[in-house]
Amino acid sequence: MLQVKNLKKSFKSGDTIVAAVNGISIDVKDGEFASIVGRSGSGKSTLLSLLGALDKPTSGEIKVDGQDITSLHDRELIKYRCQRIGFVFQGYNLVPNLTAKENVMLPMEFGGVSKNERQKRAQKLLDQVGLKADKQKRKPAKLSGGEQQRVAIARALANNPKLILADEPTGNLDSQTGEMIFDLLHSLSKTEKTTIIVVTHDQAIAGKTDSVFKLKDGKLDKRNK
Amino acid sequence: MNAVTRGIRNAFRNIIRTSSIVIILGLSMGLALSMLIANKAVGDKIVAVKASVGNTVTISPAGFSNFSQVNNALTTSQLTKVNSLAHVTQLSENLTDRLTTIGSSQTSNPFGGGNSSSSNNQTSLSSPVTLNPDSGGGGGGRLFLSGGGGLPANFSPPISIIGTTAPNQINGTDITISSGKSINGSLDSNNSLISQDMASKNNLKVGSTFAAYGANLTVAGIFTTTNRGASNSVIISLPAEQRLSGQSGEVTSAIASIDSIDNLSSATSNIKTTLGSSADVVSSVDQANQAVQPLNSVKSISLYSLIGAIIAGGIIILLTMVMIVRERTREIGVLKAIGASNLRIAIQFMTEAVTLTLMGSAIGMALGAVAANPITRLLVTNSTSTGTPGVGGGGGPRVGGGGRGAFGFVRNNFSSIHAAVGWNIIIDGFIAAIVIALIGSGVVSLFISKVRPAEVLRSE
Repeated sequence: MLQVKNLKKSFKSGDTIVAAVNGISIDVKDGEFASIVGRSGSGKSTLLSLLGALDKPTSGEIKVDGQDITSLHDRELIKYRCQRIGFVFQGYNLVPNLTAKENVMLPMEFGGVSKNERQKRAQKLLDQVGLKADKQKRKPAKLSGGEQQRVAIARALANNPKLILADEPTGNLDSQTGEMIFDLLHSLSKTEKTTIIVVTHDQAIAGKTDSVFKLKDGKLDKRNK
Repeated sequence: MNAVTRGIRNAFRNIIRTSSIVIILGLSMGLALSMLIANKAVGDKIVAVKASVGNTVTISPAGFSNFSQVNNALTTSQLTKVNSLAHVTQLSENLTDRLTTIGSSQTSNPFGGGNSSSSNNQTSLSSPVTLNPDSGGGGGGRLFLSGGGGLPANFSPPISIIGTTAPNQINGTDITISSGKSINGSLDSNNSLISQDMASKNNLKVGSTFAAYGANLTVAGIFTTTNRGASNSVIISLPAEQRLSGQSGEVTSAIASIDSIDNLSSATSNIKTTLGSSADVVSSVDQANQAVQPLNSVKSISLYSLIGAIIAGGIIILLTMVMIVRERTREIGVLKAIGASNLRIAIQFMTEAVTLTLMGSAIGMALGAVAANPITRLLVTNSTSTGTPGVGGGGGPRVGGGGRGAFGFVRNNFSSIHAAVGWNIIIDGFIAAIVIALIGSGVVSLFISKVRPAEVLRSE
């Protein structure tokens, strides 16, 4: 499903060049639930942004279903992000003046799904992540952190992506809610057969995933399982 | 929901900010609209004034001023040459003078001007003009007394007597014979025309006689006119005036009619060449240009203000959108991360800008509609009151007294300027507003395209 070869990403910081990701190579199988762990500044989020085509690598190769996304043009990258990737962020990042349902409908609109289909599917996804019907019409500010993250997961699933990338999805939640969200992602990876890569610094959560990639100073330090 | 709907909804995301922006934009748009309306109204008036002046050339003795007392009149023989020039279809000649009422005490030339003041220049008529020092211009009401003080109890204002070959007009204004009949301007007779006010004041009717220059003149007709100053006038034929006043063959002014506006310029040049330095020759177009000079200033002011207000509106919407985009950088990153294109995001922000601008425009339209007339009036009043008087101002031998001439004409005419808000102006205004919004937000689109999707992970 995902093959990363010798991936590098450097940034200029004043006169020095910082290698945020320094020659990482990983393989993730179809439907696998993987986690990336490491300390702050180890390059976890940079790796995630490269996998999600939010940023371009300095060098290296990222193949998703055999297609090298590093060679895609801007228009193809937009399509890739829209249809093949789902993002879940630590801070939820829902659009504040849209309701929960409208937030879930948003990627489908970008993907060209009809309005009727969008509405049906958004409702189904929100039901699936356990957001009650009365809360589906609420705006994010009227939802709890856990509920907002459920909406964010539903949004990530909107276009049936093959790969979901989650950046510290439980980082802003209390442990009980965090565990519920993690369990939800875990079950989705099984029921939807979606590959999920979670960035976390929580070893306990990482321990529950199928495989763990540990990063240190921009390099892959260890792979467990 | 699509990008347009989201853009409209985003415009109402922060009510306090939206209200503030809309009010500021509304003021800017209101000023722009007022200036647009003023510019159009004044422009229309300039065209109307120029179109109404006709194809005439005014001829007066060189250096002749209504406030001077030079006696350098033209002669009938000089003007005969003018009458024979190409394109001159008609020539009306006038000799004006001033008569004092028998038994009236005279101030030291309170009205200024006048060609002669011999003891023969007396009449049995009393002027119908009621003097009111505070009544202002526009028809002979204003009075200036050198050295101050009041008027003698038995004072009666001087009366203008006009000898003319065209007795159907006074200073280009048509008169209407309300009783009796007109006179022949070329025939030397003691028949006269007097105003309705003059007839009432002196209990005269058609067939009555009155004294002037020591002779008896007969009232052949009584006239009315829109020219207020003409109520203080007596009209007789040119030969009669020349004979009675002892100014044989002399003329104080003449008006030549030209066959076409296209020939006005060449005919004016020919008349100047024919009369040489002995006469001042001014075409109606020249007069109109002088008359509309204050309006041209108003038009320029309104145009610059219009441009300024539009630029201000554009800057307001541009800065607003820059502020909004900077504030929503992360949201733009999220939209890009979940598959939105730059174009789709730009459309959303453009719609937001257009929505804000249209709301501002609606307020601006209302403000403009209310304020356009007072602003136009204020601009015109200020401009004409500080402007230089044009030809023919003041009193004296010309009928009409103070406030007439181009300057008085301008002020009287400009009070009728009406700044109307038509549909075309409203539509133009809305189109201009949308263009401003699109340009303002279009620049912002460049900022949007530069936002990296990875921005969304920043400070996570």
